[in-house]
Amino acid sequence: MRILDLATILGLGAGLGLVSAHWAVAGRPVVGKVEVGSWMAWPGSGSRDVDPYMRAYLARGVHLPIGAGEGLELIAERSDDGAPLEGRCRYRVSGTIPPSRGWTLGVTDGAGRPFHLPLERVSFTDSEIVRGEDGGLSITAAAAAQAGNWLPLPAGGRFQLRLRLYDTPVSSQTGETRAANLPRITRIDCR
Amino acid sequence: MSALDPTAAPLPDEARPGKAPRPAPAPRSWPERLRSAAMRLALTTLAGLMLAAIVHIVTILLIPVLSQRDAAHAYRNLGSEGHAEIVPPAGNASGLPPLQEADPNAVTAICGYDLSAGPMRVVAHIGTLPLGLTLHRQGGGVIYAITDRAAIRGVLEFLVMTEAQYDERVANDEEGETSRELRVVSDTAQGLIVARVLAKRPSDRADAEALATGIQCGMAN
Repeated sequence: MRILDLATILGLGAGLGLVSAHWAVAGRPVVGKVEVGSWMAWPGSGSRDVDPYMRAYLARGVHLPIGAGEGLELIAERSDDGAPLEGRCRYRVSGTIPPSRGWTLGVTDGAGRPFHLPLERVSFTDSEIVRGEDGGLSITAAAAAQAGNWLPLPAGGRFQLRLRLYDTPVSSQTGETRAANLPRITRIDCR
Repeated sequence: MSALDPTAAPLPDEARPGKAPRPAPAPRSWPERLRSAAMRLALTTLAGLMLAAIVHIVTILLIPVLSQRDAAHAYRNLGSEGHAEIVPPAGNASGLPPLQEADPNAVTAICGYDLSAGPMRVVAHIGTLPLGLTLHRQGGGVIYAITDRAAIRGVLEFLVMTEAQYDERVANDEEGETSRELRVVSDTAQGLIVARVLAKRPSDRADAEALATGIQCGMAN
């Protein structure tokens, strides 16, 4: 009976410990995440004192995160109404972008890989955007062609928007950034 | 077996003279047995959960130490020719794994460093495109980041060294003179110097690649 107890303890401990560790770092960890509106950031990932979960996540693949003094990467998986971003819908990305030397806004899958779409437009940079008379930003993300700044989406399935800010003062104060200082992601309609 | 035999087993209580026989233990009832089994299960589960927490923490801490698939191992040989080399795209002939979660608009070039032979000097001539240099130590963590805005007369230059090499260099400095070198201390002997140049337009890519591969990284002495 004691052997059975010991086997239960060892099995439960090893199994649950390994599975929970794998689950915790299979994707970007919850620990260290900063949420500003629809956007998520892990500002500690590019610092000297990166937390153990992010360190383990980065070590499981070939990652080179943007350094804390180099810039900041923001990821959105949901629109402002809280619904997941899906290829069958149209979205408008508008508003302001924090001051930086340059930024890029791209569409990726859940693992951060760009989609292979017929049109080779996976992202915009600050120099490629056509702005309105008021100088505002407006990008339409949709699977079908759109007028203006069109960011093509896959025909279906989930996707992410990744905003990378280079040489920005926001990188050191991500937690204090207000949602109004980041672009809004508005769902226009869905098929 | 005699009574004087010292190896003889002691007599049972019932057989000892003057001792009252001990009553036989009463059989336990089902509720008691269930309670005992439940207590045992609870203790076993608690012990299992505590062990799971220990295994979880140890696993998380060991992954960066034991990983052979991270960027520091994959790209450690890039830059061995004295200048940064661009991270090859997926499906390249060299067999190197592609960089995950990379910005398609940025050109990334790498110099792997090994400070066991001495400090490394990094020299970058800046251009018009945004350039960032970061030091990624083996095992995770960005220990230093600098952008082209910190360049002096169009050049970014710094030395990467270990703590011991830093102490030695400070000891060798001229007395009373301030060194103009920018010295970055790495707490690991191995790591990567990563240069990222943002190509704002597709036509900027050639310039960005030239800027990134023009970064020199060699022995400081």
